[in-house]
Amino acid sequence: MKRSVCLLALALLLGAPRSLAEEAAHDTVFTVTGEDGGALFSIAHALYAGDEYISADNVLYRIDTVQGTTATAVRIGEEAMPDVSWLETGEAQAVFAAQDGAVAAASDSTDARKLIALYVTHSDESYVPSDGTQSIEGQGGIYDVAREFRDALQARGIDVILDESTHLPHDSGAYRRSRRTAERLLQNRPDAIIDIHRDGIPDAGEYAATIDGKAASQVRLLVGRGNQNSDVNRTFAKELKAVADKQYPGLIKDIFIGKGNYNQDLSPNAMLLEFGTHTISKERVIESTDMMADVVSTALYGTQTGSAKAEAAPDAKAAESEKNKGSMSGIAILAVIVIVGVIVFALVQTGGGKAMGEKIGRNVSEMTGGLLGKKPKKEDEK
Amino acid sequence: MSIGMIVLLVLGLLILFGALHRVLDRMALTDRQALLCVAAIFIGGFLPNIPLGLIEINIGGALVPIIVCVYLFLHAGTAKERVRALVASLLTAAAIYALTLVFPADPLAMPMVDPMLLYGIAGGLIAWLLGRSRRSAFIAGVLGVVLADIISSASLWMRGIDQTLYLGGAGALDATVLAGVTAVLLCELTGEIMERIQTGRAHAPGEDGAIEGGRRA
Repeated sequence: MKRSVCLLALALLLGAPRSLAEEAAHDTVFTVTGEDGGALFSIAHALYAGDEYISADNVLYRIDTVQGTTATAVRIGEEAMPDVSWLETGEAQAVFAAQDGAVAAASDSTDARKLIALYVTHSDESYVPSDGTQSIEGQGGIYDVAREFRDALQARGIDVILDESTHLPHDSGAYRRSRRTAERLLQNRPDAIIDIHRDGIPDAGEYAATIDGKAASQVRLLVGRGNQNSDVNRTFAKELKAVADKQYPGLIKDIFIGKGNYNQDLSPNAMLLEFGTHTISKERVIESTDMMADVVSTALYGTQTGSAKAEAAPDAKAAESEKNKGSMSGIAILAVIVIVGVIVFALVQTGGGKAMGEKIGRNVSEMTGGLLGKKPKKEDEK
Repeated sequence: MSIGMIVLLVLGLLILFGALHRVLDRMALTDRQALLCVAAIFIGGFLPNIPLGLIEINIGGALVPIIVCVYLFLHAGTAKERVRALVASLLTAAAIYALTLVFPADPLAMPMVDPMLLYGIAGGLIAWLLGRSRRSAFIAGVLGVVLADIISSASLWMRGIDQTLYLGGAGALDATVLAGVTAVLLCELTGEIMERIQTGRAHAPGEDGAIEGGRRA
């Protein structure tokens, strides 16, 4: 009987043509309103209290309450954005990656390596006006966007690895599968790794915009707040937006910092870009890829004219300081996780007291390979 | 890369290294064997995958953990524990596959915890309910993810989509390894809490993975 039930369950699972999650992937749109009831933005992802949002005009909001598909956000205040005034002077200053000696040197050397890795987690994502459907089981229209983005980056002298692996189906296991692609790409030590997506908001007007005189699409930046690299990646997102706001005002729709990971725990230079939504034409989105490539290139490697040395630039030092601050926050999070974990384990195992202290000592010794903490006594010493 | 970023990356890896070593060390492995396995998982993650048709097996992320599972399976205390480990693995695979079907596609919409941890939690809970064994938990966590990946890919292949399956492709940071570690830590924590509730006292420390009948064997 049990065997029959197991076999039936397995057959049902294998036979499921499309996952429930896959079917529902584009259905739920959350609307966020401000404290005054005015609409702030929409997003085709679930929202949770604590999620944050940096608007187009650089105001930070925090999601306060979520009821059904409507959320209320509290205005926290103006978000301090990186100073990119150097863009107006035309000097060569690699803002974000300037802290890397190799990349900083790239400002003066034409043969220094510049490498960006791209991949597509949700392989099926497509654009209805151009692809005829929002989801193609295989390589969706999003790969055309990724290829155009790659070509635009390469046109700026950047080596790009676009991994065209698919990670079907579009379910909650997609990031588990794309994690393998991301890790494979990271073995090439890229300066940044970017996951290319499109949003699922039905209203094309949310993304359609005239940017630099062209009919194009806005781009949303997504940062996961569920990992130790969150603050560093947030700094990266703010750098991209600050540069875009100078070069192509209106290109970056906003920055969403939400619950989730997006494989951004793998690298402090990881970013998720939402190129438009499924109801916008792919041609509009492709128009944006060239502008976005310009922004990424400038933010990572600086402008290509002028002769100022990046490593000497005060803005580069400020960027490094910001990155170090973000890293310290991640290090503190890791330290807290380890300390809490060790205390909880020691507490439930010993009930507290002196035995707990000894247990923590042994655990710390085990975790650090005997470098710290109290080493357990050998049998013959007991 | 800034010094802060380097420290952050190294610290993250060291913590995983330490947790993995602790988990392996607490089962039927000696301290040195555990250290060797941890090194094999980390280094193996950087070696080329082993291609098997539409499947590519990562040495550190899948092959080494599977070999450890086989070793632990063979060194299980009783035949009953072996059966429980296998059943726990199958149930964990079904649970993981079901979770990917039921939960929304975006990790933003996942309740409470990240999917990467959810797999290990499923494995740990199922293994604990079935056998209260850390060994079974590790086997269920690792094989659960491997089998769920195979089921998911088989479903695609049956529909004519030739998508390559990279088993354990993210090496030491793959869901396969993380699920094994999470499952054991959860199993251990759950076991300790339940034991304390039931008996009102802690166990004598320092033995291996099986926790039969509320007490370790």
